[in-house]
Amino acid sequence: MNPLIIPLSHVLMLAALLFTAGLLGLLIRRNVIFILMSLEVMLNAAALAFVGASAHWGQTDGQIILLLILTIAAAEVAVGLGLVLQIQRRFKTLDLDVVSRMRG
Amino acid sequence: MTLALFYIAGAIALAATGIALTRVNAIHALIYLVVSLLAVAFIFFLLGAPFAAVLEIVIYAGAIMVLFVFVIMMLNLGNRGTVVEQEMMNPSVWIIPSLLCLILLIELSLSIASLKSETNPIVVSAKEIGISLFGPYVLAVEIASMLLLAGLVAANHIGRRLSKMDQEKDEG
Amino acid sequence: MSEANLPFIGAILLTVVGGAAVLTWFERRLLGIWQDRYGPNRLGPFGILQVAADMLKLLTKHDWIPPFADRFVFVIAPTAIVISMLMAFAVVPFGPDHYLIDMNVGLLFFLAMSSLAVYSVMLGGLASNNKYALLGGLRAAAQMVSYEVFMGLSLMGVVMLSGSFSLVDIVEAQQDGWYFIPQFLGLYVFIIAGIAESHRLPFDLPEAEHELTAGFHTEYGGMKFTMFMLGEYCGLILLSCMITTLFFGGWLGPFFPPLVWFALKTFGFVCFFILLRAAIPRPRYDQLMALGWTVMLPITLINLVATGAIALWMNQA
Repeated sequence: MNPLIIPLSHVLMLAALLFTAGLLGLLIRRNVIFILMSLEVMLNAAALAFVGASAHWGQTDGQIILLLILTIAAAEVAVGLGLVLQIQRRFKTLDLDVVSRMRG
Repeated sequence: MTLALFYIAGAIALAATGIALTRVNAIHALIYLVVSLLAVAFIFFLLGAPFAAVLEIVIYAGAIMVLFVFVIMMLNLGNRGTVVEQEMMNPSVWIIPSLLCLILLIELSLSIASLKSETNPIVVSAKEIGISLFGPYVLAVEIASMLLLAGLVAANHIGRRLSKMDQEKDEG
Repeated sequence: MSEANLPFIGAILLTVVGGAAVLTWFERRLLGIWQDRYGPNRLGPFGILQVAADMLKLLTKHDWIPPFADRFVFVIAPTAIVISMLMAFAVVPFGPDHYLIDMNVGLLFFLAMSSLAVYSVMLGGLASNNKYALLGGLRAAAQMVSYEVFMGLSLMGVVMLSGSFSLVDIVEAQQDGWYFIPQFLGLYVFIIAGIAESHRLPFDLPEAEHELTAGFHTEYGGMKFTMFMLGEYCGLILLSCMITTLFFGGWLGPFFPPLVWFALKTFGFVCFFILLRAAIPRPRYDQLMALGWTVMLPITLINLVATGAIALWMNQA
């Protein structure tokens, strides 16, 4: 493979941009599914930063963190989507503002 | 050449993510998100992490996103709820979060800009990852497996249909 | 990748797509023979021009999008399966020097591409906005995602024995003996999971015509329907290629040149899959899922543990 020269700062910058995009989505959207998707984007951005660092130092550790992130994402999505189904069943909406009212 | 590919893939990832998070229709958003994930997987490949790239496709694009589509299919929402989402698009809703995020981004980029290192990635093979995964990181693997088990149990518990009694209690 | 590879890419694409087209005719002929009827036999010698006739018909059909469908997704869905299936051929080693790339994660690349193919069926079913299509899509999603697990796990025994994810290395490691003997459990699971993954008969529950009209592609016609079918037949060829590569020594074999051996073995498996279609009735949907989680998963895990133990023991001795 030809020598690859990608500045680490650019990789981190891309990760930062993706992370901010995810955060913005998380803050603005009210639909549960979109909020979960924004979380995925943020996790993915973190993974990108780890893999970039892993490539920079030529070590495997960053990629192992990626594996752990994938595990966390899978578990989080399984539980989160279960909640989505339950919210839809109980409230007949996916709008979190409607769901957030307190009741016993 | 590689640098150009990196920028193209990065631009695609950013654009697709941006489009995905501003869609009203969940399925369209998911398709764009899958494109974004594929672009990130390509960046992993460029960074000399082919194993990570393939895992990203198999698990993220191939399993987690499929789960999203599956749930949307089960809900079968159609175009309901899109009106509420459209109201969310007016400036009074997004201007303050955007400002906060912009400040955060500027801070992040300031700290990143102080880095002055070029990276020259060495391809890390799947074998090396396996060796260190089951060597120094074996505890992490165990914890991850427990986390998955917990997720499985929780999803099963939360996702189950309510029994008649629960429903009556809820409504009553 | 160098530019010299462009003709080779063209040759692979032409062979696979052409092969898929001829397969539509060949499958019906073989089914006809096994079921004591004729099959398409009128046009040209043995009816082979039926392929051209079918092509003409599908290409000239009105390209209709139902007004109630989600246009964007409806158009995108059929392309996903064709692209992912054709991409996967990039890592298939047809001969010792006849492969596009020898990726060190080639096997995983194949799994990644076959996991992307599920989008086509799901999105097609969802975008059609039709209850049969939706049910077909739901079935496809559950079936393909769960069988993907066994498909991946069943191949890990092969990876353990050869010590590599690279398909070229896997073929070369089989010089002393093909893997279908030590990995018979893996082969068994891989074949079943492969059929479920390419949702062909007997596991074509997503499009079971007696209960779901045509399942996920009920609303599709013309060129878009052709894409679905092309993807399915490419998937069949890919599956046969992978079984050849992983379990039956790929291009290895005496007397004939490697490419001929590869083609012969692959052709044999294609015929085998068509025979399966003719011979086995379709199970119920819950039976298929139960088979997956109660039979296939234990078998793959046992295979995995046993292979690992034996590989360790052999290394020590």
